[in-house]
Amino acid sequence: MREEEQIESYLNTLRVSLGPIAIGDREEIVREIAAHVRDSSEQSGASIETVLKRLGPAEKLAREYRDGLLIRRASRSFSPVLLLRGALRLATRGISGVFVLFTAMFGYLIGGGLLIVAFAKCFAPGHTGVWVENGRLVSAGAIEYGLSPHAHEVLGYWIIPLALTLGSLLFIATTWIIRSSLRLSQRVQARL
Amino acid sequence: MAKSKLTIDGDSPDRWEAQLRKGAVEMAALASLWNGRLYGLEVIRFLADISQLQLAEGTVYPILNRLKAEGMLTSEWVEAEAGHPRKYYCLSDAGRLRLRQMAEAWSSFSQGLSRLLEPVLQKKEELNA
Repeated sequence: MREEEQIESYLNTLRVSLGPIAIGDREEIVREIAAHVRDSSEQSGASIETVLKRLGPAEKLAREYRDGLLIRRASRSFSPVLLLRGALRLATRGISGVFVLFTAMFGYLIGGGLLIVAFAKCFAPGHTGVWVENGRLVSAGAIEYGLSPHAHEVLGYWIIPLALTLGSLLFIATTWIIRSSLRLSQRVQARL
Repeated sequence: MAKSKLTIDGDSPDRWEAQLRKGAVEMAALASLWNGRLYGLEVIRFLADISQLQLAEGTVYPILNRLKAEGMLTSEWVEAEAGHPRKYYCLSDAGRLRLRQMAEAWSSFSQGLSRLLEPVLQKKEELNA
């Protein structure tokens, strides 16, 4: 393959792989990488093939740009969906990312569950609450069918403010942990 | 003390050292632009020559891109003698301020650690003697 064709092929793959990035930014990235390939080859005397190899596969380079964009957006967002997507991307990078993802899933699931319980108590008070029997917890949350006749509910309507407060705190804490982890991850994204 | 150079693709002989250097990359990239504008390839060479930070070439551009998106850098395309334009990066006011803060924190931290490690390094010299 001729050198010009090698460059074009690399840049086309890069352009396609940059997919979700806005077209103006995408073209600027492609233009900068094209200038780098030509400069690096001219200044070091290395072949185009060597320069492209040093840059790494176009898909991998594009992924670094995409990851950077996603993590940057997520780290400024309060949307659980975007934050979870960012955490998922972190999980592909190492064990600490996996820990962040599990924390995120745990935090949002439990926090969301508590908020649902608070609302469910308003609409189905007889089926929502915390039940104990002989001093032991037998059920908590929203249930479909009745419990043992000896079980009795302990919190009553207090479960609403309690679940709302705990659920909200868990949501806020989880969001803070994910955003902090995403910001930190941006600082150590380099490959040496 | 001789610094070991790290390989390009991340296969470091010492993962701890690699992590340490990774943490300094952002500050190093900003510092390379302290004296004026540079384009990507010049940043890569500057870091390799001055600080022995040999970054994978594909890594530098996404980092510069992110720093620009964060407002730490500005960029402009400049026509060059090479026959094609080059994208030059320049520190913004926010970038200068951030770099100054990072440099102060780094300096204070490294001085403290140097004092802590002094006996360790002296012991090593005695063993080598």
